[in-house]
Amino acid sequence: MNHITARVAWSLGLILAVIVMCFTLIHLAPGDVAIVIAGDSGAGDPEVIAEIREDLGLDDPFLVQLGGYVGDVAQGDLGTSYRFNEPVTELIVTRLWPTFLLVGTAVSFAIVLGVLVGVFTARRPESPISHGVTVFSLTGYSMPVFWTGLLLVIMFASNVQWFPVSGMRDVRLEGNWLEEWIDVAHHLVLPAITLGVIYLAQYSRLSRASMLEVLQSDYVRTARAKGLAERRVVYKHALRNAVIPVVTVAGLQFGQMLSGALLVETVFNWPGLGRLAADSVFQRDAPVLLGILILSSTLVVIINILTDVVYRLIDPRIRVGGASQ
Amino acid sequence: MEPLLSVRGLTVTFGSFTAVEDVSFDIHAGQTLAVVGESGSGKSVTALSIMRLVELGTRGKIERGEILFRTPDGDMIDLVQQSEDAMRAIRGNQISMIFQEPLTSLNPVYSVGDQVAEAVILHQGLDKDAANERVLEMFRLVRIPEAEKRMAQFPHEMSGGMRQRVMIAMALSCDPKVLIADEPTTALDVTIQAQILGLMRDLREQTGAAVLIITHDMGVVAEVADDVVVMNRARVVERGSATQIFESAAEPYTKALLASVPRLGSMAGRDEPAPFDLVEYQS
Repeated sequence: MNHITARVAWSLGLILAVIVMCFTLIHLAPGDVAIVIAGDSGAGDPEVIAEIREDLGLDDPFLVQLGGYVGDVAQGDLGTSYRFNEPVTELIVTRLWPTFLLVGTAVSFAIVLGVLVGVFTARRPESPISHGVTVFSLTGYSMPVFWTGLLLVIMFASNVQWFPVSGMRDVRLEGNWLEEWIDVAHHLVLPAITLGVIYLAQYSRLSRASMLEVLQSDYVRTARAKGLAERRVVYKHALRNAVIPVVTVAGLQFGQMLSGALLVETVFNWPGLGRLAADSVFQRDAPVLLGILILSSTLVVIINILTDVVYRLIDPRIRVGGASQ
Repeated sequence: MEPLLSVRGLTVTFGSFTAVEDVSFDIHAGQTLAVVGESGSGKSVTALSIMRLVELGTRGKIERGEILFRTPDGDMIDLVQQSEDAMRAIRGNQISMIFQEPLTSLNPVYSVGDQVAEAVILHQGLDKDAANERVLEMFRLVRIPEAEKRMAQFPHEMSGGMRQRVMIAMALSCDPKVLIADEPTTALDVTIQAQILGLMRDLREQTGAAVLIITHDMGVVAEVADDVVVMNRARVVERGSATQIFESAAEPYTKALLASVPRLGSMAGRDEPAPFDLVEYQS
């Protein structure tokens, strides 16, 4: 537990560093939000622009702006969107769960199916199915996310129309909560597969390699010598050891998956954080962009701590002194 | 007296490579048979073949031969002809095995108590609590101190000698008729080796099990064996009682194996150990 407490303390410092870095980067980026806002409202004259800059506190020295922002964030206030004139926290919260749903489904799909495929192919490494899965994995790994997305849309939404082309809900639907959930799940299939397929390919390859190694280990031979059925040998004795590298890589890749979600949300018009981030970049909506960056970094840090916890639950050797023997 | 286990004309291949060729020997109840020979002579493959583990997880194949085993009912069955289901009921139950490296032979992610209990639950149909009681009894039998506390420990939390005691407890937990020990003391230091060999000898006397011990160490053979089978290059080159082998070995290879045991004072008058001649067994 001490180790986890220390990790949390370190993480808070890390998040503070991320806030300072992101704030500085956005401050240094070219472009002036006051001009964008003034231009949108149809009045581009210097007096209006100066007024907007003063209202937003953009004329204050950099350190004052930074100090004020860090203080606000510490109190849970991520500022107000320049664009929507709404609190950033509210904007993010409404977009958070679609992204969670998308990333969570994609991660679960990739890990569960990837590990199952890896185990299956490791048990029959020379079978035609195993070779087929290897080819599929390499293909899945090689395809860019946006291209996979477009391909799936053409095949399954346009040609055969099994799934909707884009969005998260059918606006025409008027049903109870169950029908609404089914509708969301129906919309979720293609984006989740698009985001998950690249990781599915990686996890299936990784678990196959790991499983092949573990199946040759002495303790698997001991389990067989005890008279255990092969299924129990594989799923109890080998699998728990074989998933350790998959858990590590999945934890480390969470950040990448969030960036992948940005592309997928754009392709499928999914109303998540990724699209909000992309829009805020184009509209120079610094508070929203900063809020999303801070949230993403915090999520990555939290997922890494959770990975650490899961890692310790799986492998007792790591519970001692924080290091594997 | 009829043997408990009789290996006859066993030949095992790995692709085009013959790892064991025409090996035969018998083991009787309460007897310890040592199979000796250098690395790669086919000793371990012979042991894994008796368990029929050579065909699981390796590319080995039993090409010819019989492995006759007398079941508790008194029937002689050929293990080579048994189905995988039938073999699972025998493995760990009527014939069990101890391996060379106790650290890697125990699963690192489960407690040692759970790993031993698993075999008891499987073969004796006990519930978890009764199985734990049996594990505790076994841990005390193999002289693991603070047995109750040790049951919850993981393999990496134990010393090499303690881990090998756990392996022995696991192997004996279902009262097997045959115990195969594949180099059980090779990975242990000398004082622990003596303790483990002493323990195995005591347990054999208590349980009446037949013991097949595989080793390259003639010191271990002298310590525990009744009979000896010497293997070289996949074949049996000599067999006899331990006394015969030690006192009047006939084959040059057996003599060379005996000569390879370091003796106190053998370096007297020398700066370096004397090189020994390579002995090839000519069939």
